[in-house]
Amino acid sequence: MPKNITIFTTNTCAYCGMVKKWLGAKGYSYEEVNIDEHPERQQEALQASGQLAVPVTVVTRQDDSQEVVVGYNLAKLAPAVS
Amino acid sequence: MVEETTDKNKVWDVVMIGAGPASLAAAVYTTREDIETVLFEKGAIGGLAAVTDWVDNYPGFPKGISGLDLSANLQAQAERFGAKIELGEVSKIEDKGDYKLLQTTEGEYKAKAILIATGSDYKKIGVPGEAEFYARGVHYCATCDGAFYRDKKLVVVGGGNSAAQESLFLTKFATHIDLLVRSTFKASDILQKEVKQNPKITIHIGTTTDEIVGKDGKVTKVIGTDTASGKKVEFPTDGVFVFVGLSPNTEFLAGSSIELDNIGLIKTSMNDLQTNMPGVFVAGDVHSGATMQIASAVGEGATAALHIREYLEGKPHPIQN
Ligand SMILES: Cc1cc2nc3c(=O)[nH]c(=O)nc-3n(C[C@H](O)[C@H](O)[C@H](O)COP(=O)(O)OP(=O)(O)OC[C@H]3O[C@@H](n4cnc5c(N)ncnc54)[C@H](O)[C@@H]3O)c2cc1C
Repeated sequence: MPKNITIFTTNTCAYCGMVKKWLGAKGYSYEEVNIDEHPERQQEALQASGQLAVPVTVVTRQDDSQEVVVGYNLAKLAPAVS
Repeated sequence: MVEETTDKNKVWDVVMIGAGPASLAAAVYTTREDIETVLFEKGAIGGLAAVTDWVDNYPGFPKGISGLDLSANLQAQAERFGAKIELGEVSKIEDKGDYKLLQTTEGEYKAKAILIATGSDYKKIGVPGEAEFYARGVHYCATCDGAFYRDKKLVVVGGGNSAAQESLFLTKFATHIDLLVRSTFKASDILQKEVKQNPKITIHIGTTTDEIVGKDGKVTKVIGTDTASGKKVEFPTDGVFVFVGLSPNTEFLAGSSIELDNIGLIKTSMNDLQTNMPGVFVAGDVHSGATMQIASAVGEGATAALHIREYLEGKPHPIQN
């Protein structure tokens, strides 16, 4: 179980909803940062992923190592959170 | 963590591949008739409708509706009657006689009937810089990534309804948009009018997109050709959104006997939306000859569901006789 999961989202992004739905279905809790509501935190998403895209999911493991998954990509998301 | 278990030997009445408008509509019909239905979705529930900013031409919503809300409504209606949605991808289907076998990311599934409603995905333009700057300045989903271009300049590539509609959406963020239309502007009259009237959009008809150029990992300009004069043209920009059409999601059928047309859409031979593999039906954008509209996808979904019921009951539909 990861220590922490943060998802950067926007209001109109359908894939953001899918990441939340998938994490919820698998029993993971997460913190959501909506960059439409908090534009000042957009830079954090950009820094974490190096990409201008959402959703950005930042998984912090128990040993504080981090994995960043851009988009709704279950092939990357599933191993990142397991 | 919750591990879901599936009974490997369970034979579902119908497995629907994709959870876009076509399948969700079909699922409303099948589940209301107690036909056990599971949908597989590898992307967004609601399909392309979910990533469309605004839908103005879906009947029943006089003021229009956001694509995300329409998708949520379709999902809620299908789930209300018992449709199950699995978040996963189907990679293969096989006809085993008594049942169909599906290989999925969630394991093997068996079904008496299948509905393929996998729609299509955005096409790439295939120019230098497109792959290099993917998601770093080159995008295919305005509702996903548009917010990164507040107060920035953009180039939109494409000349159809999607390019026009998404350009209008992107004006919520961008200061200016250069819309590069390779040949003719094919968007509907009403969309063309809106785009032409929007002071933030400049339309460049007859302009190809030849290269996406960047520096230090950021897109800086698009180089194209003005086809009338043959001269190179440059558009300084912070990002590029591409809407140049769609390619069918039928790769997973490679190696199956399902018949496709020359662009990869699924053919049907009779009026019952059944493919050449008995018990496998098709609906929506992935059907050969589809009109690529939500209303028609939903209509075909409903029609397919009724034919699936007839198939499950072992009765040919009257219109086949
Ligand atoms: C930008 C844009 C704007 C549009 N605007 C309008 C509009 O205003 N009005 C209108 O009527 N239409 C509009 N359309 C068209 C409309 O979105 C489509 O006609 C409609 O969504 C088709 O529905 P569908 O269910 O056939 O396919 P889709 O909506 O494409 O859904 C298919 C689903 O199948 C999933 N899938 C594919 N392969 C697999 C697999 N192997 N396993 C599991 N899942 C899979 C996909 O992820 C997708 O979610 C627009 C399209 C775009 C791109």
